[in-house]
Amino acid sequence: MEGIWDINKIQEILPQRYPFLFIDRVVSIDEKEGKVTCLKNFTANDYFFTGHFPGKPVVPGVIMIEAMAQASIIGFAAIKPEVASKHPTYYLGKVEAKFRRAVTVGDQLVIEVKKEKIVNNAGVVTAVAKVNGEVAAEAKIMFGVILESHR
Amino acid sequence: MSQEINMDKVKEEMRNLVAEISEKSIEEIKDDARFSEDLGIDSMMALEIVASIEKKYKVVIPEAEIPNMRSLQNVYDLLGKISGK
Repeated sequence: MEGIWDINKIQEILPQRYPFLFIDRVVSIDEKEGKVTCLKNFTANDYFFTGHFPGKPVVPGVIMIEAMAQASIIGFAAIKPEVASKHPTYYLGKVEAKFRRAVTVGDQLVIEVKKEKIVNNAGVVTAVAKVNGEVAAEAKIMFGVILESHR
Repeated sequence: MSQEINMDKVKEEMRNLVAEISEKSIEEIKDDARFSEDLGIDSMMALEIVASIEKKYKVVIPEAEIPNMRSLQNVYDLLGKISGK
């Protein structure tokens, strides 16, 4: 395992920005095995806690899915750097997710993504998001990748 | 390939797999039904099928072969080819 991406490198690959960027750091990349590990830290300043829920902050499940989907893009970029460098559009096709525990202020989400199959224009991966080693959510994610010139 | 592929069993399993992913009834999954035109299978569903086959039968389907998988019959032919039959 090698390679650590900071937020600047992450933003070279992920098209998402505030308030919809949900990866803070990439801590490991294993191109051979098709595995990446990413971190997301949740803080009291996160905007969605204002409404979800007042006085009882819980990370919305859709944001957990989005974080796992963004980690999947990092996984795609690790395996297909030549495609990712052209800044394609990534879109979700299908998500099969399970939620195991609530994630809240102060939690660090460790998202592990493993490829099942990645090709130039699509990917199938499994993602597991953990807090303190405990599984908070897991998903099988299918996504498409479109280069602008192919539209 | 570590194990020999039993084609009759594979065919039944493949029909179930394609029915599940395409959300069609098993009766609609004919060997010569066209994935895209008849079953509404898009490129991502096709990749899901590929990933499931690879996992189940411990094979690797080359990326270049995926566009040729346009029906179940094509998939059987491909599986036969990559398993060396």
